[in-house]
Amino acid sequence: MSVLKSALIGVVLLATACGGSEPAEKVGVPGQPGRLKSAGWVRAERRAFDGAPPVIPHQRFGPPCLSCHNERGMEVAGVGFAPANPHADTDGLSSRSRCNQCHVFRITDEVFVANDFAGLPQRAVPAARSYIGAPPVIPHAVFMRENCHACHDGPAAREEIRCSHPERVHCQQCHVPVTTRGKFLE
Amino acid sequence: MDQTFDRRSALKAIGLSAGSIAAFSCSDREEAARLQGANATTPADLDWGKAPCRFCGTGCGVEVGVKDGQVLAVRGDVKSPVNKGLLCVKGYHLPSFLTGKDRLTRPLRRQADGSFQPITWEAALDEIAQRFQSTLEESGPEAVAVYGSGQWTVFDGYAALKWVKGGMKSNNLDPNARLCMASAVMGFMTQFQSDEPMGCYEDFEAGDDFVLWGNNMAEMHPVLFSRILERKRQKPSTRIVDMGTRRTPTTEYADLYVEFRPGSDLAIANGILHLLVKNKKLDQAFIEDNIVFRRGIEDLEKIGYGCYGDQAERYTFKDEAKEATFDDFVAFLEEYTPEKVEAISGVPAAQVRSLAEIYGDRRRGTVSLWCMGVNQHTRGTWMNNLITDLHLVTGKISRPGNNPFSLTGQPSACGTVREVGTLSNRLPADMVVTNEEHRKKAEKIWGLPEGTINPKPGYHAVDMFRALSRGDIQTMWIQVTNPWVSMPNLERFERSPNDGRFIVVSDIYPTPTTAVADLILPSAAWVEREGVFGNTERRTQQWNQLVPPPGEAKEDAWQIIQVAKRMGMGHLFPWPENDWHEPMFEEYRSFTLGAGKDLGSYQHLKQARGLIWPVVDGKETPYRYAAGIDPYVKKKEGVHFYKAKGYGERAAVWLRPYHPPAEEPDEAFPFWLCTGRVLEHWHTGSMTRRIRELHQAVPKAYVEINRADAKQLGIQNGDVVKLASRRGEIELEAVIDGRGQTPRGSVFVPFFDESRLINKLTLDAMDSISKEPDYKKCAVRIELTT
Repeated sequence: MSVLKSALIGVVLLATACGGSEPAEKVGVPGQPGRLKSAGWVRAERRAFDGAPPVIPHQRFGPPCLSCHNERGMEVAGVGFAPANPHADTDGLSSRSRCNQCHVFRITDEVFVANDFAGLPQRAVPAARSYIGAPPVIPHAVFMRENCHACHDGPAAREEIRCSHPERVHCQQCHVPVTTRGKFLE
Repeated sequence: MDQTFDRRSALKAIGLSAGSIAAFSCSDREEAARLQGANATTPADLDWGKAPCRFCGTGCGVEVGVKDGQVLAVRGDVKSPVNKGLLCVKGYHLPSFLTGKDRLTRPLRRQADGSFQPITWEAALDEIAQRFQSTLEESGPEAVAVYGSGQWTVFDGYAALKWVKGGMKSNNLDPNARLCMASAVMGFMTQFQSDEPMGCYEDFEAGDDFVLWGNNMAEMHPVLFSRILERKRQKPSTRIVDMGTRRTPTTEYADLYVEFRPGSDLAIANGILHLLVKNKKLDQAFIEDNIVFRRGIEDLEKIGYGCYGDQAERYTFKDEAKEATFDDFVAFLEEYTPEKVEAISGVPAAQVRSLAEIYGDRRRGTVSLWCMGVNQHTRGTWMNNLITDLHLVTGKISRPGNNPFSLTGQPSACGTVREVGTLSNRLPADMVVTNEEHRKKAEKIWGLPEGTINPKPGYHAVDMFRALSRGDIQTMWIQVTNPWVSMPNLERFERSPNDGRFIVVSDIYPTPTTAVADLILPSAAWVEREGVFGNTERRTQQWNQLVPPPGEAKEDAWQIIQVAKRMGMGHLFPWPENDWHEPMFEEYRSFTLGAGKDLGSYQHLKQARGLIWPVVDGKETPYRYAAGIDPYVKKKEGVHFYKAKGYGERAAVWLRPYHPPAEEPDEAFPFWLCTGRVLEHWHTGSMTRRIRELHQAVPKAYVEINRADAKQLGIQNGDVVKLASRRGEIELEAVIDGRGQTPRGSVFVPFFDESRLINKLTLDAMDSISKEPDYKKCAVRIELTT
């Protein structure tokens, strides 16, 4: 019975650790002491709510944004890996677009007046599968995130959302976005 | 728990947990938790409603995600033809403008000691009604005033118009839009006798050359600019011409950058017209069929600038329309040779010739775009006339990809101010109080006796605040705007509370304007109430209330109606308390039907992603005056300017000369000062500064200084400098080679920062016809502090 009980506590603890509380938590990578899971945390830190454009987490450099944030991303010496541009395939956006229309720098941590806004949480919503082994559905909207590789592939991809098979380039052949929670028929 | 937990589900739980640990996968465990019923909030859990963005005049469609009475997210509305799913950084951060900690939630009354104390709505409304009533009785309708906004919904503006003009028989109703697009109004009125552009945003996918007159579109209308950039990607021969007095982020995308001396755009436009005549690039057939020529008063002494001598108290210059001929037009332009234009403007004659080639090329579509650079100009109406002249004499108008297109800065500058007519001389649908027929029509629709509406125009915005300073206006109500940041030459309007005047301010946050108020009313904003906005392309957009307002906040129209009722003017608002939006809109709409300004029905607007008026038989009109597109045009082809009855249903080309600015740099004040905006902040910043991401991107105002000037003055990037004009001074951080670069001898300062009020320095010089102040040109000096 006590074994059962501790297993239960374990389940509760794990559930809490994964998806329970607010978004800014840091979660360890199992089997790799000291390493943190970061996709949800990083998303939350840089966005006002799930779906808002992230602020730019680095200082202003000279060259145009897309010279590093190109279609595949690029290692920038001394800075890190610049993730690929997720909008590479977005209609109406191109290398001619103005990134600063939506993405701005954060040059101070101060606020003008405190704000009570608590937006749509940034938790990494698990992707549902119909059965173990089935391809998971895409748990977020794909508009403006058509280039899946930007987040799910390459050195900048966070551990828990890194794709195991980036060589298969046509992602939506197997993974489809969820657009409704409604059911067609019971 | 042990008792109720049966062995089977416990084993299942262990199995799951063991399996998860084995796979080192958190998401599998989360998935298990979700299968067992645990639910994270996702976009699919929100109720999504439609609304236009709260900020600029572009009118982007947003979807607003709501849960438990809170806005949790927004996203670009892919169904909106305006923005097709894209927004700018302000639009993406809309939700948190509603939730600043210092949101006003109760009416506040100033006490004898200067502090504010909460009072009830009843007490507040009673006092406002009593104050307006007693001022009317003691000093007449010239002593009351309502100062409104291009951010008013159609309901707010219509309620104010009906109450002020139909109830109080006053014309002292003017909006902040006077500071913003009044020159464009007078431009369209003097040429077409009907306000607002003929084109629509589809021009961005149809045009070949986009000529931006003093317009930093990349920052001010970013979503529209992105449509031009996409056009350029798809059709690389597309050209962007940036004409300005300062390099901006827009310049980075320009094929041709034309830098001119402040105010010399008048000479450039005349220089282009000169070359079009010389090079025989006019569309003679079009001119023959559709154009008349007009000439106004050109005497500089007579016109003045609205800020010197007697004009500094009241500026009432009135232009005249004198008939002219094509030959007069040619003779008038004779002197504007490229060389003379170069001498006035500093623009190389070769560039003037390039511009004339662009306007004169019949094979390519030309769209002219402008906003504050042209409108906030001591000869702003003239500049509007000249740009439209370029299109009229070449026939490049009312066709896809060929239009003069003025852009607006506020979400309903068009819908509320220009269409409802919340200006000191106007009534709905292009009508004016000085016209007896127009007054009669309004009185009939409102069910008021003939002679109710006052035929004498009231104060325009700047004169209204001058009259308040003098004490001629005793009771004033300010809604949805922040004049103690945005008026020019601010020191003039300093006010101490309890000085015998009574000022009511309705707003959502404390501002420098609420700080001088006697009574503050908390307003409901954006999706906290039902509303209608009209954007730059004549698109009327409706939204429903999606969340409750905080505390006791109420919508502005409701506040006006309640005061009107207390003043015995309830007959103006005869609709049921719980359902007045639709009947009020339908009454307003009756002004527009058959006037060429027909709005869609309220039920139609509720369904649509906005409708471009005139809406006839439920169909929108993307291009006004165009045969086959505009239902009012009965011709088989070409255009018909059917609204311009005074010109024989033709458009007027105006002859407008070059006049110098009201103040120019001299020895004591050697620098030009231009003021403006930045992408991240909207107007006086009372909303956008409370959005964390936007404030953290641009936390304070700064002064852009040219590198060579800075070197000469010993100023380094980031140094604090004192900027002074004849009117005031402030301290700012210097920025050298920031997002904009000023030419030698000029500086630029954004105006959003209430603790660094650049409008203490600006001059209250105005456009001679529209009475819109010129915030773009005055003289300052720079001093390095310590």
